Amino acid sequence: MIETERDGGVLSVKVQGRIDGSNANDFHSDVKAAIADDDTAVIMDMERLAYISSAGLRVLLMLAKVLEQRNAGFAICSLSDPIREVFEISGFDKVIKVHESPENARAAIG
Amino acid sequence: MTREITLKVGGSTAELERINAAVEELAETEGWPPDLVFQTTLVLEELEVNIMNYAFGEDENVQSQIVLRSEPDRLTIEISDGGKAFNPLEDATEPDLDASLEERKVGGLGIHFVRTLMDEVSYRRENGRNHLTLVKRRD
Repeated sequence: MIETERDGGVLSVKVQGRIDGSNANDFHSDVKAAIADDDTAVIMDMERLAYISSAGLRVLLMLAKVLEQRNAGFAICSLSDPIREVFEISGFDKVIKVHESPENARAAIG
Repeated sequence: MTREITLKVGGSTAELERINAAVEELAETEGWPPDLVFQTTLVLEELEVNIMNYAFGEDENVQSQIVLRSEPDRLTIEISDGGKAFNPLEDATEPDLDASLEERKVGGLGIHFVRTLMDEVSYRRENGRNHLTLVKRRD
């Protein structure tokens, strides 16, 4: 479900497939396990994410809150049109930074 | 073409995969655009998970029924269950879409998706069952 890569304390998480009510908890544990204590930011690349429901959004919200408490950055990039629509309808685009590409997300995080 | 399918759904989230497969199969034979497949799957998941969580409590033997009727100009979805009376249109929490990250919660988002993505949504309680009817127009 995820593939990760670390570059100077910035963890890139490539998400693929579907995140729904049946696997959102596994997704949460996988991402939590991938984040190191000294990571300064997490970028989640959704290019290959085919589907997400409120169960998956709940996980993103929890990750965003934990990272903010640690003063670490959190950004999402490369949303497909239907997933962007889900983000907009839920208002998540107002609380989680969404970028066009991983390069934009990386530049914004600094 | 018009095609109708009926699905009996149990009380576990493992059922979501079976629902998705049925939606995709119907979508393929009826030539739905990809966004309709996505929206239908999303709405069905949100409502079914609500039924699993609220209507029956801890009962593992939950059974609800989904009827999907695909017509050239519309898709009609009817979901019914024999759980306690629950009208998601009135009884579900309204999400606070303007809350800050710290205060933001996910409760009520599922019903918010249903209201936003579907064109008509109605609820009735009949013969001890909850019935939710949704219409998505294809125009």
